[in-house]
Amino acid sequence: MTHTLHRAGTATSLGNDFVVFAMGAQNVNRDGCAPRLRRIFEKMLEFEPVNYGDMKTGNKFSVGNEKILESIKDNSIVHAVFTSAEKVAEVLKALKELDAGMSVVVSGVLEATGECCGKVGLHRHTVEHSLGIWGNIARLTEQEVLHISTMCGHGMVAFSLIKYMVEEIKAGRTTPGKASEELSRMCHCGVMNPVRAAELLTLMTS
Amino acid sequence: MYVDKEKCIGCGSCVTYCPMQALSVVEDSLDINHNECVECNICYRAGVCPCDALEIKELSWPRIVRSVFSDPLLSHGNTGVPGRGTEEMKTNDVTNRFRPGYIGIAIEMGRPGTGTRFYDVEKVAMAVAEHDVKFEILNPVTHLMTNRATGQINPEVLNEKALSAIIEFEIPSEKTREVLRTIKDVSAEIETVFSLDICSRVAQDGILPQVAPVEQEDIALSINGKTNVGLGRVKEKGGAMA
Repeated sequence: MTHTLHRAGTATSLGNDFVVFAMGAQNVNRDGCAPRLRRIFEKMLEFEPVNYGDMKTGNKFSVGNEKILESIKDNSIVHAVFTSAEKVAEVLKALKELDAGMSVVVSGVLEATGECCGKVGLHRHTVEHSLGIWGNIARLTEQEVLHISTMCGHGMVAFSLIKYMVEEIKAGRTTPGKASEELSRMCHCGVMNPVRAAELLTLMTS
Repeated sequence: MYVDKEKCIGCGSCVTYCPMQALSVVEDSLDINHNECVECNICYRAGVCPCDALEIKELSWPRIVRSVFSDPLLSHGNTGVPGRGTEEMKTNDVTNRFRPGYIGIAIEMGRPGTGTRFYDVEKVAMAVAEHDVKFEILNPVTHLMTNRATGQINPEVLNEKALSAIIEFEIPSEKTREVLRTIKDVSAEIETVFSLDICSRVAQDGILPQVAPVEQEDIALSINGKTNVGLGRVKEKGGAMA
């Protein structure tokens, strides 16, 4: 049910991987909410997220922030990716002060997110846990590849593309940074963490 | 997806972008395995074809099911939400979709990266339906069901393949353990994989009601998850928000 859940990885790596996003609710507060979502997105940009996007328009690497801002609609979901819990706490504090009235969700290590909420005086409303991958898991690819691919919950970052990028890095034809940006470009919502992806690609090629 | 063989030069630039490995170069031209292609359109949207040989064609029933479940840029007519899911817990602070005493569960078939046929979706949906679960009415999989009491899905789509499809439902919290056991059992009977998640309202004392039954079933809770931080507000009468 969710495009930012089910991110696989080690505790250390996931500790640097948070997505904050906001949206309106159909038949409740969505009609006419685009300006509020725009203000939330602008506020999140002030904290220099490493990626951002709105699924309907694109992400940091495919279209950039101006196009996203001008295209925000009532049914948009605006996302921003941050690499530390400290930054998430600052963002939540700012969004609380903004008081735009839209639902805000943090995807990341739950304990750290809970601490962020506590710091800024927010009582968590609803929490969702991932219970992992089930079924015919013999069909899955290598764990290292999954750690990158699962950052795009819509599955737009193909296992084969990650493996191709690994080979390109090993051959010296690209770098982990450039490869992670190309992978992130495929994730329409802008929820892939390019910093984490580059770290993982570096580990896979060193 | 369609390839214009007159334009394609067989460079293979698009091949690695396909999440289903449905693309290959055969005799100097792109070949699309239409049985495996889920119509997610990422090969087209990647913009890597040097000669614009890839084209998105209008699809007819039942093949159109592939694209609406696989291309996140399409909004489902019944949800109005981009992507293949629903608002679920993301807006629970204003919708109260998941009330105290109830648990939300979602089974995302085919995720990560393997895709799913709808006969596997039906198999799992029918298994959990035995527990009288309440399937989410705004969920696109629910709309494919011909019988929401049994979880049966329209037979015309059973062999269609999607990048993923989400079975989403609510249960009284006391049913959580038995439903998890059923999910575990049926997971051994399917061709594909699924990602499983569970949610609930946070109690006033900070307790997460889903944790205890999951742990009692010896299921590992991931350290990461999603938190609705409660900043949403319901519109006041007359349409304005305070």
